[in-house]
Amino acid sequence: MSRKGSLRTYVLTRLVLAIPTVLILLTMVFLLMRVAPGNPIQVALGGHLSQQEIDRRSAEAGYDKPILTQYVEYLGDVFTGNLGTTLTDHRTVTSIIVENGSATLELTIAAMLVALVVGLTIGILAGRFRDTPIDLGGRLFGIVVYAAPVFFVGYLLQLLFGSTLGWLPTSGRVGPVTEYELDTTTHLYLIDSLISGNFNAFEDTVLHLILPAVTLGLLVSGVLIRLVRVNLMQTMRGDYVEAARARGVRERRVVLEHAFRNALIPVVTVAGLQFAILLGGAILTEQTFNWPGLGSELVRYLNERDYIAVQGIITVFALAVVLVSLMIDLINAFIDPRVRY
Amino acid sequence: MSHVRRLGIAAVLVAAIAAIAAGCGSSGGGGGTIIRGTTDQPVSYDPAGAYDLPSYDVIYNVYQNLMTIPPGENKPVPEAAEKCDFTNPTTYECTLKDGLKFSDGDSLDAKDVKFSFDRNVEIADPNGASSLLANMKSVDAPDDKTVVFHLKKPDATWPFVLTVASFAIVDDSDFPKDKLQPSDEVIGSGRYTVASYKPGQQTVLEKNESYTGDDPAENDQAIVQYYDKPSALKLDVENGEVDIAYRSLSPTDIDSLRDADGVSIVEGNGTEIRYLVFNLKLQEGGSDAQKQAVRQAVAQTVDRAAIAKNVYDDTVQPLYSMVPQGLQFATKAFAEKYGESPDVNAAKKTLSDAGVDTPVPLEIWWTPSHYGPSSGDEYAEIKNQLDDSGLFTVSLKSTEWTQYSEAAFTNKYPEYELGWFPDYPDANDYTAPFYAKDSFLNISYDNPEMNKLLEQEAATTDEAKRAELFKKIQDIGAEDVPTVPIWQGKQVAAVRDGVSGVEDTFDPSFIFRYWLITKD
Amino acid sequence: MAHMPKFAGIRRLGARIQEAKGAPRWILYVGIGIVVFFVILAIFAPLIAPYGFDQVTSDGVRFPKQAPPSSEHLFGTTVQSTDVLSRTIWGARTAIEVVVLSVIFSIAIGVPLGLFSGYVGGKLDRGLVLIMDALFAFPYLLLAIVVAFLLTDKLNDFFLSNLFGAGIVTAAVAITVVYIPQYFRVVRNHVISVREEPYVEAARALGAKRRTVIGRYIFYNVIQNVPALATLNAADAILTLAALGFLGYGIQPTEAAEWGYDISRAIDDVGAGIWWTGVFPGMAIVLLVTGFTLVGEGLNDVLNPLIRYRRIRKPKIPAEKVPAEQEASS
Repeated sequence: MSRKGSLRTYVLTRLVLAIPTVLILLTMVFLLMRVAPGNPIQVALGGHLSQQEIDRRSAEAGYDKPILTQYVEYLGDVFTGNLGTTLTDHRTVTSIIVENGSATLELTIAAMLVALVVGLTIGILAGRFRDTPIDLGGRLFGIVVYAAPVFFVGYLLQLLFGSTLGWLPTSGRVGPVTEYELDTTTHLYLIDSLISGNFNAFEDTVLHLILPAVTLGLLVSGVLIRLVRVNLMQTMRGDYVEAARARGVRERRVVLEHAFRNALIPVVTVAGLQFAILLGGAILTEQTFNWPGLGSELVRYLNERDYIAVQGIITVFALAVVLVSLMIDLINAFIDPRVRY
Repeated sequence: MSHVRRLGIAAVLVAAIAAIAAGCGSSGGGGGTIIRGTTDQPVSYDPAGAYDLPSYDVIYNVYQNLMTIPPGENKPVPEAAEKCDFTNPTTYECTLKDGLKFSDGDSLDAKDVKFSFDRNVEIADPNGASSLLANMKSVDAPDDKTVVFHLKKPDATWPFVLTVASFAIVDDSDFPKDKLQPSDEVIGSGRYTVASYKPGQQTVLEKNESYTGDDPAENDQAIVQYYDKPSALKLDVENGEVDIAYRSLSPTDIDSLRDADGVSIVEGNGTEIRYLVFNLKLQEGGSDAQKQAVRQAVAQTVDRAAIAKNVYDDTVQPLYSMVPQGLQFATKAFAEKYGESPDVNAAKKTLSDAGVDTPVPLEIWWTPSHYGPSSGDEYAEIKNQLDDSGLFTVSLKSTEWTQYSEAAFTNKYPEYELGWFPDYPDANDYTAPFYAKDSFLNISYDNPEMNKLLEQEAATTDEAKRAELFKKIQDIGAEDVPTVPIWQGKQVAAVRDGVSGVEDTFDPSFIFRYWLITKD
Repeated sequence: MAHMPKFAGIRRLGARIQEAKGAPRWILYVGIGIVVFFVILAIFAPLIAPYGFDQVTSDGVRFPKQAPPSSEHLFGTTVQSTDVLSRTIWGARTAIEVVVLSVIFSIAIGVPLGLFSGYVGGKLDRGLVLIMDALFAFPYLLLAIVVAFLLTDKLNDFFLSNLFGAGIVTAAVAITVVYIPQYFRVVRNHVISVREEPYVEAARALGAKRRTVIGRYIFYNVIQNVPALATLNAADAILTLAALGFLGYGIQPTEAAEWGYDISRAIDDVGAGIWWTGVFPGMAIVLLVTGFTLVGEGLNDVLNPLIRYRRIRKPKIPAEKVPAEQEASS
């Protein structure tokens, strides 16, 4: 079979296989939310109205239609892109995804950058200087940084840089007044502020982004450090590396140009898998830093039993992970011919 | 990319960030902008879709009602109306002021008022307050300036009902009659307009230049900024990112802010209450008399002052009646009957007189999230007080709010914690919901004398008579003790120096009047 | 038929640990030491902790509220007047219980599923892989939150709840659901690569039952992967538990002490200069997670053939005994 053919087959197969995964995910989300106890009216007005009145309002709002009907409606809605309107504050789920999703996106990209810079640097150093104090120190740093709960680290950073030193702001994406004045077209504030030439807003956005991105990025860097280190050590044992050494190439070049490049491949894969960790950590980081992203909205809507909102957000989260892993697989297939079917 | 080059780029980035950081400062609002931070999130700015305090916050500033409670007072006065009165016990008539306008220039007339009430009933939004209009048979607008309400039963609280934000006046040419208006497209006749609403982030109110009523806004703009965690809000008020932090800071936060520079704590009487409910069917006790003895003994043993101090750092005050201080007709019935401090000996006597064996086992439920984490501390404190007296052994149970709020009212919990927020600041709103036969509490409490008194007080507008009736009601409440009032919350805000007016808006009405606040 | 020694896989593991040189062994030992320390705290909590996890009085005297560390309260007290040291120790019990339960559940479900699915293949395998992949795609914290949510108060009559408390079982189940796919994947992939090995084929050709083939030949081979994965999952489980506690799901505060919940209450305190209510539970989490991770890393270092170093034993060459004749003849 020609190389092109097998790549195409792989891509197609992967795409097709993604569909049942997506369906299963959607079904799981649906079931989970329907099985959850309570409904939004109960949450909001329980303790203030009689249970009869609450039951009456719930029935009127259609919270007790048969499950199958709701399921079919749900699937239909998702595939037509209509994720519904929230029950507790009348927002369209799509607007939640767009506005809050961009916030999470900005945060995760920034955090990923931090993670890559820190993780790669320390990982390479640790792998290169294996079994020396540098290695041990780097590994320990990676382990401890992952072990420290992100919500606590976040608050300590808030206290140090926000409160004590007063250098950086501690909540939100921008200050209240700037937020009002900013034209949000893409909802990615860094881009929006540049587009509208509002450099004040740009600076404000960057400042607000630093602490949360560092907190989340450090968490993920912990994992990356270990990965990069292990992969580097493995590739540095490889024959072609030995050959380069035998040719008299300087160790630094050996590391950076030969070993590193190949060590990077599995790292790309795992970096993609870290996406799941990133999203999980994002929930906690967003709560701590008052970052108006999907994670904090999810927790809020979950507490209010707004299952339409929760459904929509979880769906997007899960689809995002599927999409990212799909992309990683495709990139891998492109680079590494062994991976294909 | 070579090692050196990478290092170089990193260095430049760090330097850039340091440079920017050096030039940063806090970004508080300008002189005409007041920024308030809060952890409460609103549901809807369409009055027909709102029954929650955060939505009310904005609605009171953006619309007008027929009647309102002026700052610092506790009785309704006409706002959009010129005057209002009962023409007979079941008919209430209001005459509108002249020249009322909505912010888009439309004039406000009686047809708009009728529309506002009718659509409330028609939409009957699950999150709305249409149930408060249960006593309204119909509403008419015989001419441009007159509104007539036909009630089913005489109701002295009707003027109060008219002050409720859910019944603010909307424009019949802008708002749909059968569904809600989106929150960012609302138009009212109040002191501000909703200039922007970003759910979960901020609401921006701008001064309405075409406002025709009294006391126009003393500032140009008010921004309500939403926070998920009180700790983030506390940091921001300390740093000056927001001017006012109101609802809800923890007692620890408030204590810490008392000593902070640039911030002071402003307090006022509040009307939020917390109480313990007994389910008369499920509670301990062999006979009705014994059950009552148990309830009375608990009321005699609970140390409210200790709770207020130890758990809430005095941001709440002890409550001696279901009707909180600050409301007309409030008494201190529990203090009169049982004394302000706990009396364990008296409790012992009450129990032994009724032949109840001690210690009495009590199963008390509370809920961790809905009333804030301090309620856990509160009930731990209550448990300790009751256990220490030797008269009770308490087992505490908790479950999260959704299950709790259903189980509590469907006869699953023998004793449980509850809080109450007024619909309107009238004593009726603090007695009828709990003491009437068909109370939403569903605790099988049915005292015919109480039922009669409640009917009577609702039916008369004679203040002297109501005072008498309410005294009796509260006394019976202290005797029967279906519920034990524990504390009454103060309204507490952290306010930055230079900002004034917050203390003026703290009154039993719970209306947060942005228009009174100024900043130098 | 060749006789495979019992527990061959585990023996091999032990041998490899002995062979490893230098740092990996120490990492392993330090990690084990930390974990053992916490396990001891967990088991002997009633004896070690000075007070109960929600105790606020002693001899009729109320504990002070938010008091700094002192001789009576080595780690200080919380806003509820509970003793921080006691809560930290009892929290260890909660953490270890949840972790042990969830790891046992995950392995008990994930490993057999992976074994079976990998060996049998076909439609069953493909179906299971799809489901597991879907679960895997679910952001783990989300899944744990949702499951914990759903199970609140539902497990009150479950038999394990009487032993451990419903909240702990709930948290354990929530975490289990997240990690089953991992064990499944690892085991299944290994089974697939192992099942084509000649010795397995030979066994099959000789008529061994499927159960025997899986049980005796494949299982011990595959089981080597599990300990490392289990320790890393234990580390993650603690973080997930703390996250659940922080957000308020899973374990109710009246049931047991939990570090994440303590930190969520401590966040207000830190701003007021009260550091002891959050730092100690925080450090406990970091230590225990680090401990498990070190064990996992250590095992990985020791087992991963590409990066492990063998301790090179110098061959013992017996001192030459030149035979008398030869000497005589040279």
